[in-house]
Amino acid sequence: MTGLLRLENLTKSFTWDAPPVVDDVSLEAAPGEFITLLGPSGCGKTTTLRIVAGFETATSGRVLLDGVPLDDVPAQRRSMAMVFQNYALFPHLSVFDNVAYGLRLRDRTRAELTEAVRIALTSMNLVGLEGRHPHELSGGQQQRVALARAMVVQPHVLLFDEPLSNLDAKLRGAMRAEIRRVQNLLGITSLYVTHDQDEAMAMSDRIVVLDRGRVEQIGTPAEIYLRPASVFVADFIGRANFLEVPASMTGGQAIVTVLGRRQIVAAHPLLTGDSTALLMIRPESVRVTPTAVEGNGSVLGVTFHGASVDYQVETAGGTLTCTVAGPHPGELLAEGTNVNVSFAADRAYALPRR
Amino acid sequence: MKRTLAIPIALTLASAACYGGGKDRITIACGAHEQWCATMTRRFTEQTGIEAGFVRLSSGEAMARIKAARGKPEFDAWHGGPADGYEAAKKEGLLEPYLSPAAARIKPEWRDPGGAWTGVYLGVLGFCNNPDVLAETGLEPVTSWRALLDERLRKNVGVAHPATSGTGYTVLWTQVALGGGSQDAGLDYLRRLHPNVLQFNKSGNAAAQQAGRGEVGVGIVFSHDCVAQQQQGYAKLRVTFPEEGTGYEIGGVAVIKGARNPQGARAYVDWALSAESQRLGPTVGFYALPTNAGVTPDSKAADLSKITLVDYDVPGAGQAKPGLVRRFEDEIMAAS
Amino acid sequence: MSRDRGGRLPVRVAIGAASALVLAGTVYPLASVLAEAATPAALPRYARLTSASDLGILRNTLVLGFLVATAGTALGLLFAFVQTRLDVPGKRLLHWIALIPMVSPPFAVATATVVLYGRRGLITHGLFGLDYDIYGLDGLVLVLSLSFFPVAYLGLLGMMRALDPAMEEAAMNLGASRRRVFRTLILPLLAPGLAAPFLLLFVEAIADLANPLVLGGDYVVLASRAYLAVTGEYDTTSAAVYSLVLLVPAIGLYLAQRHWVGRKVRVTVTGRPAGRVHLVSGWARWPFYGLAVLVALVIVSLYGTVLAGSVTEVFGVDFTLTLDHLRVALGSEAIADTTVLAAVATPIAGLAGLVMAWLAVRHLRAGSGWLDFAGTLGIAVPGTVLGIGYVLAYRSDLEIGGVTVLPGLVGGGAVAGGSLAIVLAFVVRSVPAGLRTATGSLAQLHPSIEEASTGLGARPFQTFRRITLPLIRPALLTGLSYSFARCMTSMSTIVFLVTPDTKIITAQVLSAAGMGYYGVAFAYCTVLTVIVLASLAAIRKVVA
Ligand SMILES: Nc1ncnc2c1ncn2[C@@H]1O[C@H](COP(=O)(O)OP(=O)(O)O)[C@@H](O)[C@H]1O
Ligand SMILES: [Mg+2]
Repeated sequence: MTGLLRLENLTKSFTWDAPPVVDDVSLEAAPGEFITLLGPSGCGKTTTLRIVAGFETATSGRVLLDGVPLDDVPAQRRSMAMVFQNYALFPHLSVFDNVAYGLRLRDRTRAELTEAVRIALTSMNLVGLEGRHPHELSGGQQQRVALARAMVVQPHVLLFDEPLSNLDAKLRGAMRAEIRRVQNLLGITSLYVTHDQDEAMAMSDRIVVLDRGRVEQIGTPAEIYLRPASVFVADFIGRANFLEVPASMTGGQAIVTVLGRRQIVAAHPLLTGDSTALLMIRPESVRVTPTAVEGNGSVLGVTFHGASVDYQVETAGGTLTCTVAGPHPGELLAEGTNVNVSFAADRAYALPRR
Repeated sequence: MKRTLAIPIALTLASAACYGGGKDRITIACGAHEQWCATMTRRFTEQTGIEAGFVRLSSGEAMARIKAARGKPEFDAWHGGPADGYEAAKKEGLLEPYLSPAAARIKPEWRDPGGAWTGVYLGVLGFCNNPDVLAETGLEPVTSWRALLDERLRKNVGVAHPATSGTGYTVLWTQVALGGGSQDAGLDYLRRLHPNVLQFNKSGNAAAQQAGRGEVGVGIVFSHDCVAQQQQGYAKLRVTFPEEGTGYEIGGVAVIKGARNPQGARAYVDWALSAESQRLGPTVGFYALPTNAGVTPDSKAADLSKITLVDYDVPGAGQAKPGLVRRFEDEIMAAS
Repeated sequence: MSRDRGGRLPVRVAIGAASALVLAGTVYPLASVLAEAATPAALPRYARLTSASDLGILRNTLVLGFLVATAGTALGLLFAFVQTRLDVPGKRLLHWIALIPMVSPPFAVATATVVLYGRRGLITHGLFGLDYDIYGLDGLVLVLSLSFFPVAYLGLLGMMRALDPAMEEAAMNLGASRRRVFRTLILPLLAPGLAAPFLLLFVEAIADLANPLVLGGDYVVLASRAYLAVTGEYDTTSAAVYSLVLLVPAIGLYLAQRHWVGRKVRVTVTGRPAGRVHLVSGWARWPFYGLAVLVALVIVSLYGTVLAGSVTEVFGVDFTLTLDHLRVALGSEAIADTTVLAAVATPIAGLAGLVMAWLAVRHLRAGSGWLDFAGTLGIAVPGTVLGIGYVLAYRSDLEIGGVTVLPGLVGGGAVAGGSLAIVLAFVVRSVPAGLRTATGSLAQLHPSIEEASTGLGARPFQTFRRITLPLIRPALLTGLSYSFARCMTSMSTIVFLVTPDTKIITAQVLSAAGMGYYGVAFAYCTVLTVIVLASLAAIRKVVA
């Protein structure tokens, strides 16, 4: 199997006097793996992707495919195909010709070509649109043409630059599954750029979180969500409550005093000795129970989502968000309700302060 | 892309075979008008069997081209165009002296004593009047240089630029001659004339055009240009000559130094000076006077017996030209 | 953008070929002339440059360039706007009329202008009783803007068609009026497109010779001054010095344009088009339309005069119909010679301009604009000077160690009757138009479209041929059409290169006009115009 992609210490500066846009990024994607670069807008995701594609030259560092450095391999010989955010369909070519474009460069026989395009169009649900031009397609259709065009050449690596950001939420959901399905089917190593953490979670084998050009964390969606490597990651991925608490370390765990109770929680490896830690608790891990007498908090605000309800609860340690799934009409709490707030110790994670 | 380029290149190279010149061919730089040049070369070939081609060039262009060829001129002879160009070329050493036997029939003041060039025609400066336009301002056809300065002729005189046109320069040098050889006097006249000038045209006979169209009341041109305009359909034009005396241009012929075919070139000069060739002008609408004493001028050409000519120092005019023209540019044109 | 390393042999070949073309066609001949302007003997000449007269000429030149560039670009914009955004009748006709001036044979249009709009103009004097002196700056600006605006028009037309209407819809949706959309959206988006024709028109206007000669009056510009130096003072050195001066504003403006456009790259063709053009149909369309129609009428009147002049005895005096003039013109070998040479030069020029633009925009971005510049230089130099440069550079055989490496290319007896030099001159004089229009249109093409192709495995030239070329076809069409028209009508350079074997129409026009045979001059121009228009139609067929 081919498609082992390695990025070694990639650094890129556009101007000599500005800080690097991509700063010492290293990662390895196994053949067939789906890896997402996730980070806020402007953090260097696109630039990293374009360096891999060969459209930009790294200031330092290198890209290897199956152990072969790509420094001197021009973009068109890298055996990678990219799906652009704006699709970059060829406006003067029909859907068929757009998809056939890459194959025509590869000396396929007519029959092979037609067959390959037909399969690609079928798998992307584009049958019947062959003769149309890009401007005669809906956004989702354009998107699928872009995808078909990239996949049909069976590249060793697929590169995606926010391909779904121009689609509506429903379509986006469907396309996520679609992309993963085809990618799995073909087993093509994929590097996927997005700023949408939901998308990253839903699609990726592993996620690379970037901040200001640097890798903050690489891990499976679960690792990233449950054991974030930094406050930035914890904050950026999903929602999190942070409580500033005194902590002392014992055997890799932290003893913290929170909401009036001493608890032993999992801790970040960088946390040492006695210090103040930030205790991360995801909203869905926070339990609220109404109490007639004074509890340790009171409800400040209620947001009803349908499938869940969010409560803003004021406590001595600060305001906490608490999500309750599948609320029953009779159980909804009103603003001002006195509550007791608690959480299971194994759902909290202590992080060093930034 | 390479194939696309190859086709035109191949075409060009293939066409090379069709062109090219043999040894008994001559090429003439011709300073007169197309048909005149064509007739001259054609008849020459008929007479001598030597093939002749020509390129029509103004004096300056011809000079620049001969000079830039650096001793490997593409022309064998130069025919037509004012003598001051030939004088300048002589000074640059671009001409091969040749005293044609036929030159004996030509007045000495109409040729270079050393044989660098010889005169083939004479153009006399005159006024090309449009009586209708002049009448609008209550004027009669103009008969003197002085009368041209009349305020009523404001922007109503056409004349050529001394730098671009032999006509224009002849006007300027005529004033120098009338001023007793003083360049200042000559420039001064043009400075006073300037307000009356519509524009200093770049070609000599444009003033005749302007007079014909009624853009100006009078144009200062070689009389044969005005006659040509009359022939072209502007029948109401009237030619007059200045009573103070007028200047003239001599059209020359010369052999170019380093000519590939000097023999042919000399034969061409002989031909250009012959009575036969000098009779051809009027047949193509060119009414300058012949220099060959054996040729009777056409009835439409200027009648020298009725015209006062100034003492026109041809070599002097030629030598003074670059400096004088520059002074004209700087002191009159740029000052406006 | 795609500045990758390795695997770019074709790009290097293209760079090599383009460099060879500009070196041989422009740089070397120009250097040969400027070598004369750098000799010690020429030093006093520079001292005189600061004289009041020379400064005045410089100022005249700049003023003329600026006015023509502004007026010409504005006209181009007006016509492109009417064409793409107004709901008015007769747009097709208007389009063709706007193309006619691409063929502006020297002398003919200027002369027709004098005949119609001069002091005794059939229109100014005959119709309105005016005594209007057209000689000078006003006449020049009129004729030059009309002559040069088609290239601006075609370039802008292509761009306005390529503008994504969704952006206009977005702006209108945000509450912008049509006027506001035009001012705040279309105009800024077209900025690179406007800068290109502005530069081109400026450079063409200040280097133009024929019109200042016929219409300039007392308004002397550097190009005509350089010509006067050659023809009147037999002084090539002065001409070279004037040309050097002429290069300064051209270079300055060129750099300014690069800087300005380089900083605001406007990318509009993204490969994700949406929306639909909304034509203006309110009362506001009429003033624009009226103006365009007026300009079209002036164009028609001028070319109509040329046509009428070629079939009447003496237009304006004797209106008897005659075919004599046309017979003379059609009987001349110049027609065939010029057409063949121009037909050879046109594809080379069109392709060269396009390739240079592509290299400059996509492959040499970082500071290597010299190729782009050298390409533009071909038109920035007065033709007279370039012509002399050709003679200096290529008249003699080039010998190295006694062996002829390159036989003489110029003049009678040269290789191919001197036609190689003529073709080369045609090419370098007409490359800039194609180069500038292609640059403008490439700057509008989003790089990701080409990157998508590269990513799919296309080599640079494959991408160029399959993706870039079809997308900028309007620019290619403009480039080719304009190149052909230019070749057929170029004069000042060619005067130094014609030989008995290669007769050129413009030289015949010059000669006929010089003799006062205006009927014949007009006839040549009519034939010329017909050939060029027919060829434009043919080029359209071939390219489309
Ligand atoms: N061609 C360029 N020149 C200069 N700066 C650039 C260029 N492209 C991107 N940048 C800068 O690099 C940073 C990262 O950009 P990008 O990789 O596009 O971010 P994103 O993570 O949103 O895709 C941004 O600050 C952007 O302004
Ligand atoms: Mg991005």
